[in-house]
Amino acid sequence: MNLIFKRSAPFLALLGLALGGCQPDLNEDPKSSAGQADFTTYVSVGNSLTQGTSDGGVYREGQLNSYPNILATQFKRVGGGEFVQPLFTEAQSNGSGYLRITGFTAAGTPTTGNVTTNLAIRAVSPRVLYTKYTDPVNNLGVDGIRMSDITSNTLTSTNAYFERITPDANLQQTYLQRVQATVTSLRPTFFTSWLGNNDVLGFATAGGASSSLTPIATFTANNNLVLDALTAGGAKGVVATIPDVTTIPFFTTVGPSFKATLTANSVPGIVAMTGAAPGGPATANRRQIATADIRDAAGNGRQLFTLTSSPFLGLLGRPTGAPWRSFVPRAALATYLQAYGVDTLQAFGATAGNPIPSAFILDDTEQAQVQAATTAFNTALVTAANARNLAVFDANVFFRSVATSGVITNTVPNTAAYVSGNLFSLDGVHPTPRGYALVANEMIKVINAKYGSSVPGVDVSSYRGVRFPQ
Amino acid sequence: MTVKTLLLAGGAVLMGASSASAGGFQVYLPSQQSIGMGGVGVGLSMEQAAQFLNPGAMAMLRQSGVQVGVSATFARLAFRPASGGPQRELENTTVTPFNLYASFGPKEGKFRTGIAVYTPYGSTLKYQDGWEGRFSLSEITLRAIYVQPTVSYAITDKLSVGAGLMILASGSVNLQRAVALPSAEGRIELDGKTKTGFGVNAGIFFKPSDKLSLGVSYRSKIDARVVGGDVTVTNPIPALQSRFVANKFDATLPLPATVNLGIGIMPTDKLTIGVDVNFTQWSEYRALRFDFTKDGAPAQIGTATFSESKRSYEDALTFRLGGQYKVNDKLALRLGTAYDMTPVKDGYVTPETPDNNRIIGTAGVGYNITENFGVDASFMFQAILKRTQTEADLLNNGTTDRVAGTYRTNVSIPGIGFRYNF
Repeated sequence: MNLIFKRSAPFLALLGLALGGCQPDLNEDPKSSAGQADFTTYVSVGNSLTQGTSDGGVYREGQLNSYPNILATQFKRVGGGEFVQPLFTEAQSNGSGYLRITGFTAAGTPTTGNVTTNLAIRAVSPRVLYTKYTDPVNNLGVDGIRMSDITSNTLTSTNAYFERITPDANLQQTYLQRVQATVTSLRPTFFTSWLGNNDVLGFATAGGASSSLTPIATFTANNNLVLDALTAGGAKGVVATIPDVTTIPFFTTVGPSFKATLTANSVPGIVAMTGAAPGGPATANRRQIATADIRDAAGNGRQLFTLTSSPFLGLLGRPTGAPWRSFVPRAALATYLQAYGVDTLQAFGATAGNPIPSAFILDDTEQAQVQAATTAFNTALVTAANARNLAVFDANVFFRSVATSGVITNTVPNTAAYVSGNLFSLDGVHPTPRGYALVANEMIKVINAKYGSSVPGVDVSSYRGVRFPQ
Repeated sequence: MTVKTLLLAGGAVLMGASSASAGGFQVYLPSQQSIGMGGVGVGLSMEQAAQFLNPGAMAMLRQSGVQVGVSATFARLAFRPASGGPQRELENTTVTPFNLYASFGPKEGKFRTGIAVYTPYGSTLKYQDGWEGRFSLSEITLRAIYVQPTVSYAITDKLSVGAGLMILASGSVNLQRAVALPSAEGRIELDGKTKTGFGVNAGIFFKPSDKLSLGVSYRSKIDARVVGGDVTVTNPIPALQSRFVANKFDATLPLPATVNLGIGIMPTDKLTIGVDVNFTQWSEYRALRFDFTKDGAPAQIGTATFSESKRSYEDALTFRLGGQYKVNDKLALRLGTAYDMTPVKDGYVTPETPDNNRIIGTAGVGYNITENFGVDASFMFQAILKRTQTEADLLNNGTTDRVAGTYRTNVSIPGIGFRYNF
């Protein structure tokens, strides 16, 4: 047998070689094409999501995995050109700094800490500023920007990321003017616009205790301005809607375990502060929240706790000022406590004298405000997009389905859960590289559907979720 | 919120795999002569491979003899993911299924005994690094060697019966896949040998005239059982080590039963035509389950102590047509074709069996070097038709442990055999 095989092996090998031509070919099935779109020059407009913010910061890896950069890479297969981002350099690759997992407690809870090396910080006082990048860029994503900010000529003085990409001679420039100037100089043929998240998110992540919801009239007007600017040269593009922020891990992670702890200890409820109005224990800014009313993983209950509340809820029932010190500047603390009638010697969360801060809870009233604003903004976004015959990526619908049933990418399950879900980074708000890759693929789907193109998607599973120590 | 609950809640499901060369992971390469004729032979009594094709026909052989053959399968696959990404292919691997038959009996006697060694099931596939289905399968090697002592008896000169004891004498499975971890990819390898298994191969052969013969045969199912196979995990993230406890696995893969019908037509002395139909009871293959253990107790791999992956195969038919033309006493030319229907339902295609209906073409040549000694060369080409499954198909069927996309495969199988009859 062996002998026979040895003798016939050369013959078989030769035949095998001749069979190389049997390789099937699916490369044209489908063939990549631009369809009616033209991807020669792509420009992206938006906020932190567009900039590639992740883990509570902006850093080079996050920028490289921003959805616009992933899109641009795919566009190159169908005629797309160079896509310039205001990347932090390799030497300053950690940019603003960001959260990372530093270890695990004995109980197995991950602990996080800030990355403080290789930063791109050029000033810390009077405010943090980053290493400038003033060359023209295709990615105009600016962390923290609101739709209501785009016509402000003082934005560079409040937004360090916009200041970073604005030449010093031009510090009065508004974001809208920057978009208009970019359209004039780069002549984009394709764009994505994903603005408006911060017009609800700032208010929501502050638990309704600060920030505000943008009036719908301002939102609509500014959105029309930016879309008019982007389409001035005849560019085609995609407009994305605003997800329901109450489904992100920032709001869904802490409440369920807190509720379980309260239930296990037979604590019927807690005392919290709501809204932003000053006033003492007897005023309307205090409210009782029944344990049963805290939203759990199954969706029962209404009240949401922020991720930022996590370190302090264990202090329940004890006299403490730590929760207040975590978000009120030290110099302003005494005045703040006075204005809100807080006595840190009283039992935290169990008395009206020392309630759980409003900044830690997005209660049902605040949720309804966020919901109403989100719905109105999305209606405005879709209306404006349809009026200009643009594609719409309904991020609201997409992320709702992710929150409800997760999404499986090439056999790998992903959910909206904190850390384990792979899609949201350690800040509980911004996606991981995998989350951004998923967004890019979803945008490609709507682009292909709208413009008859065949832009290939990416292998989402090859992008990482939350980084674990290795 | 401990890391355990966090991580286990959303962890990757470990899924299994099995394999590819007739429908499913059947390897229908009876002998070089039969391969040249499209795999027919159930209704013929041409050669020693009757032991496999139809033990009932063995008694009708007029000569004792020994024959061996070996094939080389070259599979070339193309895969495009549903997202439209680049084409993925296989790393080139070659498998060499073989066959060995020997039978003995008096020239004019009614009894004939024999022994056969063949490889009716198996698969080897190695996908290129980084392909989209790597968390489902990156590499599989599945082998099964059957040994079959056979007895055949001619009741009359027109009717004969035969039966053999099929022994799964040697079998092995090796599966490798990537493991999805939050910020890295691990790797898992399952490697095991099968327990010896037993079955029956029986047949009836009827030859009413010189120009016509009929045959029917049945091969029973054998379960390929692996007990205590080795689990090897490469996990680059120490914090997740609690997911990978087990070091052994148990699994069972059905090697399904087949019913085979054949007709032989001999219009002239020189021409032999065969028509076969094979019915394979693939519906036995409902799921592939792995149970993981450590020190004999259930232990965790991934999120559970077992993994189960739906197969839900359907019974499948194969139609074969082939002929042999004897140019002279020394030279025989063969030609054949087959249509092999896939047992794999839409939305259930797995990387280890990227299956669809197959169109098969074969050719062969036999040459008698001496009166007793001959050589046979065969060539088979299988086109596994293009098959697409979408994300929606997978969601609808609960089969998201495999990848959405389009598969297309060609398999070329050259082979050579030698026979000595006396």
